[in-house]
Amino acid sequence: MPGETFKEYVDSLSYGSRTDLLFKFLKNLPEEAAERFLQSLLRELGEVVDTGDLSSLFDLIYEAQLAGYSPPDEETRWKYEDAPFAPLKKPLSEMRVGLLTSSGHYVLGQPHAPPELAEYSQEEGTRHIGEYGRAKPFLSAVPVDTPQERIGVHQPGYDIRAALKDRETVMPIDRMGEMEAAGVIGEFARTAYSFIGLTSQIRLTKEDAPAWAEKAKTEGWEAAVLVPV
Amino acid sequence: MSVGHVSRAFEAAGIPTVIVMSNVFRGRVLAMKPARVLFTRHIMGRPLGAPFDVERQAHVLRESLRLLESATEPQTALLLPDAYRTAPR
Repeated sequence: MPGETFKEYVDSLSYGSRTDLLFKFLKNLPEEAAERFLQSLLRELGEVVDTGDLSSLFDLIYEAQLAGYSPPDEETRWKYEDAPFAPLKKPLSEMRVGLLTSSGHYVLGQPHAPPELAEYSQEEGTRHIGEYGRAKPFLSAVPVDTPQERIGVHQPGYDIRAALKDRETVMPIDRMGEMEAAGVIGEFARTAYSFIGLTSQIRLTKEDAPAWAEKAKTEGWEAAVLVPV
Repeated sequence: MSVGHVSRAFEAAGIPTVIVMSNVFRGRVLAMKPARVLFTRHIMGRPLGAPFDVERQAHVLRESLRLLESATEPQTALLLPDAYRTAPR
């Protein structure tokens, strides 16, 4: 836009007029680092045109995301002194193991968000992230025999393109089933769960996460694989 | 860092957990002192691997389960060395 600064351009990628959830981290970088990243991105794209080798491009994005999501220690909001740790009581090959993710997967046709957010599309959700941050966490049950084509994703906190193409990128239901078949785990709990990770952390900590743990226990979970995005 | 909070609640309730996640969020989750966490050198939103990269997804999950079973103390963290890739053709 006429008169727009580079900083304003970069900021617009993070829940602004040019929202791009894969590159929203650029807003967290110093302006010079963001400039270097974009210049390097163009250079690597120029290489890919000739070589078809994407590895350097992936490395560039990964390293920039690592820098963008590494806050200075004093800016880390959630810090704890204690470290809860539950030891395993028996081999995994004898345990029922559950799966829970913050990827926002849900079964199509089923409720997938708090009522006040349920009508938003993924794109609309990116324009209302403040509401998500205040919302009560919502847990979706996903029976593990649900076919991929009956699963949707709603989570305006991250780039969901991979999760839509293949849930296994972040919600590895089929891979867990294979671990059960191979005897690595005793049993894969028949219902997996997912929630919209962009939610009220206070409510999650004080109310919902402890309630979900009790629910998991009633369903016989003896261990859990947890996957954030 | 929602899953960090879920992990802490599950551990406190006696359910052992392993978190499987991209290393790009490393600093944020380690500040929460997770019980066990396996990091991958993958781009955000693809912690297990790229779409349809069954081999990588299985490898990540297998290593996660190995970590879940072998860790004997809190804050056991492991970074897998494999860089992000698309599914082999």
